[in-house]
Amino acid sequence: MKKLLIVDDEPNIVMSLEYAFQKQGYNVFIARDGSEALVIMEREIPDLVVLDIMMPQVDGYETIEIIKKNPAFAKAKIIFLSAKSKAADIEKGLSLGADLYFTKPFSVKKLIAAVDNLIRI
Amino acid sequence: MKKRHQQKLVILSIGLILFLNIPIIFIFNSDASVLGIPVLYAYVFFVWLVSVIITYTVINRYA
Amino acid sequence: MPSYAIILVIIGYLSLLFAVGIWADRKSKSKWVHNPWVYALSLAVYCSAWTYYGSVGIAATSGVSFLTTYLGPVIALPLWIIIMKRVVLISKQYQVSSIADFISLRYGNNRSIGAIVTVICVVAVLPYIALQLKAVSETFDILSDGVKSTSILTDSTFYIAVLLAVFVALFGTQTSDASRRRSGLVFTVAVESVLKLVFFLIIGIYVIFYLFNGTTDIYNQISALDGFEELATFTNIESSINWYFMIALSFFAIFLLPRQFQVSVVENTSTSHLKKASWVFPLYLLLFNVFVIFIAWAGKLLLSSDLNPDYYTLYIPLQQGHQLLGLMVFLGGLSSVISMVVVSALALSTMISNNLIIPYGFIKLLNKSNPEDNAQRIKNVRRVSIFILIIGAYFFYVNFNIELSLFSIGLIAFVIIAQLAPAFFIGLFWNRGSAIAAKMGILAGSIVTFYTLAIPFLNEVFIDGSTFVSEGPAGIALLKPYQLFGIDFMPPVTHAFFWSMVFNLMFYLIFSVVFKGNYRERNYAELVVNASSYGELEENAFVWRGEAYVAEIKKALVRFLGEKRTARALDIFYRKYELNPQEEKADARLVNFSEKLLTGSIGAASAKLMISSVVKEQPVTLPEVLKILEENKETISANKQLQQQSHDLKRLSDRLKDANLALVEKDRQKDEFLDTVAHELKTPTASIRATSEILADDDDMPKELKQKFLNNIVNDADRLAVLITNILDLEKLSSGRDIMDKKQHLLKDTLVKAVDGIYQLALQKGVHIEIETVENVSLIYDEDRILQVFTNLLSNSLKFVPENTGTIKIQTQQYGDEIVMSFEDNGKGIPQEDMQYIFEKFYQSNNQNIKKPIGSGMGLAISRHIMENHNGTLTVDEEFQNGARFIVALKTGGL
Repeated sequence: MKKLLIVDDEPNIVMSLEYAFQKQGYNVFIARDGSEALVIMEREIPDLVVLDIMMPQVDGYETIEIIKKNPAFAKAKIIFLSAKSKAADIEKGLSLGADLYFTKPFSVKKLIAAVDNLIRI
Repeated sequence: MKKRHQQKLVILSIGLILFLNIPIIFIFNSDASVLGIPVLYAYVFFVWLVSVIITYTVINRYA
Repeated sequence: MPSYAIILVIIGYLSLLFAVGIWADRKSKSKWVHNPWVYALSLAVYCSAWTYYGSVGIAATSGVSFLTTYLGPVIALPLWIIIMKRVVLISKQYQVSSIADFISLRYGNNRSIGAIVTVICVVAVLPYIALQLKAVSETFDILSDGVKSTSILTDSTFYIAVLLAVFVALFGTQTSDASRRRSGLVFTVAVESVLKLVFFLIIGIYVIFYLFNGTTDIYNQISALDGFEELATFTNIESSINWYFMIALSFFAIFLLPRQFQVSVVENTSTSHLKKASWVFPLYLLLFNVFVIFIAWAGKLLLSSDLNPDYYTLYIPLQQGHQLLGLMVFLGGLSSVISMVVVSALALSTMISNNLIIPYGFIKLLNKSNPEDNAQRIKNVRRVSIFILIIGAYFFYVNFNIELSLFSIGLIAFVIIAQLAPAFFIGLFWNRGSAIAAKMGILAGSIVTFYTLAIPFLNEVFIDGSTFVSEGPAGIALLKPYQLFGIDFMPPVTHAFFWSMVFNLMFYLIFSVVFKGNYRERNYAELVVNASSYGELEENAFVWRGEAYVAEIKKALVRFLGEKRTARALDIFYRKYELNPQEEKADARLVNFSEKLLTGSIGAASAKLMISSVVKEQPVTLPEVLKILEENKETISANKQLQQQSHDLKRLSDRLKDANLALVEKDRQKDEFLDTVAHELKTPTASIRATSEILADDDDMPKELKQKFLNNIVNDADRLAVLITNILDLEKLSSGRDIMDKKQHLLKDTLVKAVDGIYQLALQKGVHIEIETVENVSLIYDEDRILQVFTNLLSNSLKFVPENTGTIKIQTQQYGDEIVMSFEDNGKGIPQEDMQYIFEKFYQSNNQNIKKPIGSGMGLAISRHIMENHNGTLTVDEEFQNGARFIVALKTGGL
């Protein structure tokens, strides 16, 4: 079973996503910010991380930089999921090594399809 | 020092010329004395001292 | 007292002076040496043996007239700042080293004027120095039991004279630049001024209170004597006319005597020192004079009438058997002699070298030699002059064995020196006074002086029974030297002074207006007369046209200053005017600058000769000179204006920059605020959209989960609504379109409601809330709005205080018609750099702009607007250290 890590400080969104991905057959882990996410990743090494940007403590940018530096996480795909929707924000997110960038509000179906696309095949 | 205060000193100097010469000095031309100092000398010394005090005041206040 | 003992004391005293001089030379920068008191006291070089002994003599024989010598300076000193500041400024700028230099500079660096002034000064001062030596010699004899020495080799005065010459040569001629200050020498003069005054005061007090019972006692005894009236009053109008002219004479002397010019101008180290001198010096003279009459009268009462009244000051203690006191008096007199002789000899030797020997002949020799030799030669010329002057004065005294009193020789010197007065004083203020006129005036005045003072004197000395004085030359009564043109009611000195001044002044004025000076002297006249306005022109104040090569000028400079000093001086010059040092042709400024540089070493006239020998000058017409000066002045003031303007511009652009920065900052904050608003709006929207999408697509969801998801949607919708309300609130409040529902409320009730609202949260976080409030304060306000303010402040605090140890304290106090509430917490506080921004609408603290902000950043802005709409205030206490403290103030008057 593929492992999926959802990192977001919004409990309502996390709750919805957790339910939707579990239903698709993923093993879903939850973190409320970057530092928590990194702790979980050390333990589980997920196949894909859904990452918010604006979070307390360690934000999305810092988190992805740490992930990309660690060769142990080399195979983990990363999708940004953020309310920051300016072209500059998206460019920055992708340049840091994210595979996809979703802006909030988003379609759950499209997110699932993208995740499937990245790690199912 | 401003012109006006300089002029005070010039006026003091003119005043000294007037007060230390005839005819004003003749007013004190008597051989009476003040504390053993003849009046004429006493007068000259007094004017002298006043001039020192005025110069001191003008200079310390305005210069 | 045995003479060897006195000689030992003198040697001891002189060594002490040498030591003081050497010390002060080394410490020339210290506050002990460089200070206005030293300057003021050095002016007292005016008080020579003439003052110390002669005044008493006059007071004892002819009464009040001794005061005139001091009343001139007393009248002059209030003018000191006004006149001398100008003289000092010019002298410093042009390296003037003597009165001869100054007058020759004023009249276009005129060589012959410098020479004439020098001759006048030497003629006047040499007998005057002789008199000083005479005083030393006579007092020495009085002190040493009256044994007179007969040959030079046994005459102690000769040795004293030699020692003085050594002293001057040592301290006065250390460098070839005579305009340099000699702090050691000046300091010893100041020290001697103190000593002679103190000694004189001691003897005065001793006479009045030890020998007599105070001033009244002396007065009563002396007024009983015959002829007392003459001593204490004017006996006739003539004597008061005499009084008037004598004052004028000493008025001139205080400015013009070479030694006075030396200490007051050449040795001046700062124009600010002039201030102190203008009251200290007259006070000094006053102290010196108060006791004179009593010493004189005491002498008359106590001593036999065949003793010389000039030396009563010394005779009195000796007659009373007080030898040591006598020795002290002698040393005081010696002090006044030493300072007078030393400074006079220095001033005269500089004049002789710079205005007589160098410009007339010596310059050719100097022109061919190297700098070291030249500096040495110039110094040697001065040293030889010093010795010739002092030793010459000694022989003058020995051979003429002057019968005249100290007082009258002093007066004759004054009359001769006074011949410089028109050229000096009028030249300072009148730009038309010309060189030829100055020369003519001085010569005419001197001839008259010679005829009315010197000829009768020489006549009496050398030709017995001549009728020249009593009947006039060849019996022409109108030309009788003491009663010229029949004026027979003036004593000889006054008479000579009067007539010499008449001729001098008239010649000066008439020649000035009849013969026009050349452009060169007019240029310098303008410089001196307009010193205050042309002063800042410096080298630009000099108009010169012609051809000159820098290399040539440099060669001339090197000859006197040496390679090093020349290079240094030129370096400063080039930098000051931002000129290219490679430029071959020299301009007017360099020519003038070089003349100034040389003036200190070889005098103004020689400097002009020196420089003009290496440059080709073309004449400039007078109107041109004036025009160029005016233009230079305008250029400089225009430059000043430009500088001012560019300064203003820079200030303006700085302000614009600041404003721009503030705008950029505001824009940045606005962007961030919009980002934040967008984020805050998008987050619940995203949540609603995601949740409802799942709910819509998923039919077999368990019921509880479905319920949970639906609740989430409701919560997010509420969040959205609050956010939108906030934004609208702010907009309404800041534009003033909000309608308040103001009613009477108890403040305490509202506060309790606010606390209740957050109480649960506080309890969860373990935060302690303290309330101190004034009972029964009833105010008119919109309760919902004020509640919003309180809630906002409380929830802010709640966010920032630590868990379990957090405390929030609310205090209410009434000051007059104002209710002041403080909300204080022990949280992390507000960063200093954010203090000024926290109430701004778009504020988001810098250190949280990437991290998710806590709150929307609108609460404080809204709260402040609410308070303002209630005629109250909301401020932050910037001094508070332990957390954050907000102050809410409301007026009891309401609205």
